[in-house]
Amino acid sequence: MKIYINGNAFELPNASVPSSIDKVLTKTLSLSQQQQSFALALNGDFVGRADYPITHVSDNDSIDLLFPIVGG
Amino acid sequence: MSLSIYGQVLNSRLLIGSALYSSPAVMKQAILASGSQVVTLSLKRQNPLAQSGAKIWRYIQATVKQNQGFLLPNTAGCKNAKEAISLAKMSRELFQTDWIKLEVIGDDYNLQPDPIELLIATEQLLAEGFKVLPYCTDDLVICQRLYELGCQVIMPWASPIGTGKGLMNPYNLASIRQRLPDTTLILDAGIGKPSDACIAMEMGFDGVLLNSAIALADNPPLMAKAFATAISAGESAYIAGTMPERQTAHASTPTLDSPFWHHPEHT
Repeated sequence: MKIYINGNAFELPNASVPSSIDKVLTKTLSLSQQQQSFALALNGDFVGRADYPITHVSDNDSIDLLFPIVGG
Repeated sequence: MSLSIYGQVLNSRLLIGSALYSSPAVMKQAILASGSQVVTLSLKRQNPLAQSGAKIWRYIQATVKQNQGFLLPNTAGCKNAKEAISLAKMSRELFQTDWIKLEVIGDDYNLQPDPIELLIATEQLLAEGFKVLPYCTDDLVICQRLYELGCQVIMPWASPIGTGKGLMNPYNLASIRQRLPDTTLILDAGIGKPSDACIAMEMGFDGVLLNSAIALADNPPLMAKAFATAISAGESAYIAGTMPERQTAHASTPTLDSPFWHHPEHT
């Protein structure tokens, strides 16, 4: 299964098994990266942290991780 | 002498951005010098390896705390209601606030807000419990629609973001103030000089939100103080009541009992 995180492609095994967002993050990010402050969107729609375990990712889905930055 | 944002009373009428400073230290000095209790920030897609977001956020948080203030996340960069709604929800989760400076940009050249998408996003976010601070143009009808949707705060622009052109349409802004007397009106974007902020406050605006004019000054902390002083002066002038403008000259020195050389028979 291929998914995109912030535009970068990741190839994940077990294409037939649905993967939840928290499992995808565990497979693609280091522990310190997972512990950072970020908010997440799946295919452009916000997904709250509480829903990571119950939200499944499909082939070619796009995950956006957004981090705080300065702003006006 | 206080500003109310959805019932939250603030001592300062200046809202300040956190971008464009030459360094985090200068940003902190400017925010503290401004006395502002509301600091804007944003969310962006970054490489998780960079880990820079958390650092700047902690820095802004610490600075805001010193002024006993609040974070105001924005939806900068969003071009339609769907994007803005999604980003607002992400901001609420991350920054733990239901305040949102709602920006939906309709034109890439002058960064003019898209009024239609703005209204759509505003309606949905209000329904979902957000306290929406919409950034809009100086269009009276759009401001009225935002008010009718339930916005307690409306933020018309002075001029396009980052131009420093000041108040392009004082008539429009004065009309909005006059027609929406019960709404908290904050002038947002395009302010270049402290005198611009002062003029807005003299009109009866409730506050001013700006970033570039302070961040791009040669001495941002000093400019922050200048803005705070100008806003205070404008507010006092509004409360004091300015004199009516007149078309003809009126002598300010009393003419009664003028000396003899002003009498026609001596000329």
